[in-house]
Amino acid sequence: MTGEMAFVSCTVNGAAREFHVRPEEMLIDVLRDRLALTGTKLSCDLGACGACTVLLDGKPVSSCATFAWQADGAEVRTIEGLAAADGTLDPVQQAFIENSAFQCGYCTPGMIMLARALLDHDPSPGRDAIRAWMGANICRCTGYEMIIEAVEKAAATAPGGGK
Amino acid sequence: MNEISPNLHVVGHESARKDAVPKTTGTATYTVDVSFPGMLHAKVLRSPHAHARITSIDASKARAMPGVHAVITRDDLGGLNPTYGYFIKDQPIVATDKVRYIGDTVAAVAAETELQAVSALEQISVTYELLPTVATVEAAMAETAPELFEDEPMGIVPAYGQGASGARRIGRNNCYRFSYETGDAAVFDDCDHIFEDRFIFSRDQHFHLEPFVSVARMDGDVIEVWSSTQNPFPLRKELARVFQYPENRIRVRVPYLGAGYGAKNNCKTEPIAILLAQLSGRPVRFCMTTEENFLTQSQHAAILDVKTGVMADGTFIARSGRILLDSGAYSDASPLVAEKAGYRLPGPYNWQHLNIDCDCILTNTTPAGPYRGFGGTQASWASESQLDIIARALGRDPFDLRMQNLKKLGEAYVPGESGIDSDLGEGLKVVAERAGYQDRPRGNGRGMGVSVGFKDAGGVNKPAQARIRITTTGGVYLECGTVEIGQGIHTAMSQVVAELLNTSADRVVYPELNTDYTPFDQGTNASSAIIVMGMAVQQATLEAKRKVLDFAARELDCGIDEIALDDWSIRKGNESHPLAPMIMRYYGGTGYEFSGAGFFKPDMDHAAPLETQCVSWEFGWGVAEVEVDRETGLIRLLQLVVSGDAGRAINPLVCRGQDEGSAVMGLTGVLFPCMVYDGAILMNGNGLDYRVPLATDIPDGFASVLQEQGHGPGPFGAKSIGEGCMLPVASAIANAVEDAIGVRIRELPLTPERVLAAIDEAAG
Repeated sequence: MTGEMAFVSCTVNGAAREFHVRPEEMLIDVLRDRLALTGTKLSCDLGACGACTVLLDGKPVSSCATFAWQADGAEVRTIEGLAAADGTLDPVQQAFIENSAFQCGYCTPGMIMLARALLDHDPSPGRDAIRAWMGANICRCTGYEMIIEAVEKAAATAPGGGK
Repeated sequence: MNEISPNLHVVGHESARKDAVPKTTGTATYTVDVSFPGMLHAKVLRSPHAHARITSIDASKARAMPGVHAVITRDDLGGLNPTYGYFIKDQPIVATDKVRYIGDTVAAVAAETELQAVSALEQISVTYELLPTVATVEAAMAETAPELFEDEPMGIVPAYGQGASGARRIGRNNCYRFSYETGDAAVFDDCDHIFEDRFIFSRDQHFHLEPFVSVARMDGDVIEVWSSTQNPFPLRKELARVFQYPENRIRVRVPYLGAGYGAKNNCKTEPIAILLAQLSGRPVRFCMTTEENFLTQSQHAAILDVKTGVMADGTFIARSGRILLDSGAYSDASPLVAEKAGYRLPGPYNWQHLNIDCDCILTNTTPAGPYRGFGGTQASWASESQLDIIARALGRDPFDLRMQNLKKLGEAYVPGESGIDSDLGEGLKVVAERAGYQDRPRGNGRGMGVSVGFKDAGGVNKPAQARIRITTTGGVYLECGTVEIGQGIHTAMSQVVAELLNTSADRVVYPELNTDYTPFDQGTNASSAIIVMGMAVQQATLEAKRKVLDFAARELDCGIDEIALDDWSIRKGNESHPLAPMIMRYYGGTGYEFSGAGFFKPDMDHAAPLETQCVSWEFGWGVAEVEVDRETGLIRLLQLVVSGDAGRAINPLVCRGQDEGSAVMGLTGVLFPCMVYDGAILMNGNGLDYRVPLATDIPDGFASVLQEQGHGPGPFGAKSIGEGCMLPVASAIANAVEDAIGVRIRELPLTPERVLAAIDEAAG
């Protein structure tokens, strides 16, 4: 509520966006409240649980712990921007569906974005690498095994993936 | 009629969940996403003291703060019944006379932004007269302990049947006692061995990722509230009582739930959101933070004293028990949890005598309430730990001692109860074989433990109603009050309906839950959906199907036995007659809807201890393998093999998710710190300090084995699956630790400190 407004110019899911933001405004607030991208979920608000994970220049970040001004000049990608323009789902989304790798679904957008970042970084991760990477986010429902298997499947089916 | 097809074409298939696309594309709507123009945000002032009398509250400055539209203190509760609870109505919307724990609600503000609301809270001045604090069960029961409630709050003791009873205020801060007794206590005298052990159970917090949240507004004279609640109709009833309002002018709407695990029951955010909406004339959203979740609801910590008498040959004879549940500051669902913890303490074994008391003790800590397993987790921890103590004392293998004493399929649990509907020995063999129990490697700190988790499923005396509507073109509305909380009930019920209608699950939709339209239901709890609601859904579907077939038989001028439903056509011999044109020919071009209503409720039965026989029995068999480091006390989990009996798995993938998810949730109370209190101060009540299992905490040897024994009471033989595999985890691991290093730990969680202390104690 104090300080000067900051000007932020970025792309969100491929579209150019410009905002004046308060210095303390977080990226998740801009995404949810101004752009109505409510697929990104707030939970712990401390950057610990990963429910709010989005990709900032391809890297997974907790949008609850990222200031909106940090997105200046960056590419922001959220769960809404993952499927192709014609609606074709990302291989990660497809694998989460086929493997039933979600239950309540509240952590799912963050989990899917986290997995997308992994596969962009390493198209053929082994099971241990997947477990270590996906250990960044909390899912309280599934017990994780079906998530790990979904990421394995996405890696195997994606172009350039597979072991 | 093809009522139960011999070849199932939908049930048993691993079809994609009905909620798959919305939940993987970010389009699923949760209560946190509900928003209205002009919507205000609520925040509450919480007590900094664990126990104090409020001597004054002045909110006048807050009312004048920018953006503030309404403030609630105890002075704003005129015309309301301001307390709520299950059997005992003791929890106020905002504190009226006293605060009873750190975090107790004192006042609430609705403002245009959350920040304005928080700023206004800082302007509310409250003066307190501090009172002595009781932070533990032992302190609360002491002769000199202060009573949290000087006067007896309004409440009831429900009716019980054979052997069971309830009582209120029978000791200091004792808000409820459940008791169960059967057989003659004298048989203890005939036992060759008597074992007496005390077990301690810590308290987890549900850590549902979607916080407690609701959005309320007045729609004319209708109170409309979107809530992240498991139990919309019980919530409506409680709100009607609190607001002295007719139930049919309260509309509860439930979008997708970001989980609950029991926590999202009864009033949480709703009364404050509604009252602020009434006072301000605006929609109000009250969304708690994770820190506030920790100050709102937890599991019950427990002390369990168990005395068991056995014969030299290992035959179980008698068990008595006294359980003390830490209820926190308000009774909440404690009486119900006490009933279940007490009733489940015997485990699925044969006994000649049982005598169990379970007491709910109020303390100045976060109120404890429903948590997955519902008292069964505490009971299984004590019961299945003590079985290993007994086995080792008798020189018996713990697996064999269980096989000797387990109830047989169909045997009544206790006198007057229904029969056990799983083959328990078979289940135990499944996990033991999978884990390699009989040939397990020993030495070097390695060992294995087995456990049989147990609970009754389906709730007590729970009625369920469902409605099916089929449109002219064969689209199916499945209307029932079971909340999609993540368990996959939309998917499972749709598969049941599709199977019965001989069509695909794609035809079935599950309209949003709205208490104005959805058939009444008592809530999404007690592993009741597939067995209790499932029967109502089956009946509704078959009624609608019968109407369709009667209509078609009339139109085709034949008997109903000559035709069959085939994906919204009628098959008659080699002919296929599409239904849509047939319907429009008779009912007119706009068509018609066929409907069916279903109802299920167990019969009242005073011979049954809980006044109705249990609908089904839920089990989780588990084997844990550990490697214990004697130097550091660290337990490394090498294997955790769990198994539930789905009876008939409507969707095996969904069932697997339930088994694995509940087992990993069960790990929290064993290998993680849980809620750590320093006196009455919660030390780790936030998302950063509180540790729940992560993917990296799960061993490669974690596996679930889904059994389909076929004895369930639900559609196609289905049984409940949501809670069972949580139950054996703690005892299986503690039993494995004893197998590994020969020391017994009776207190959860199994921290390195406790392991080292047990090693030291064993070494003398």
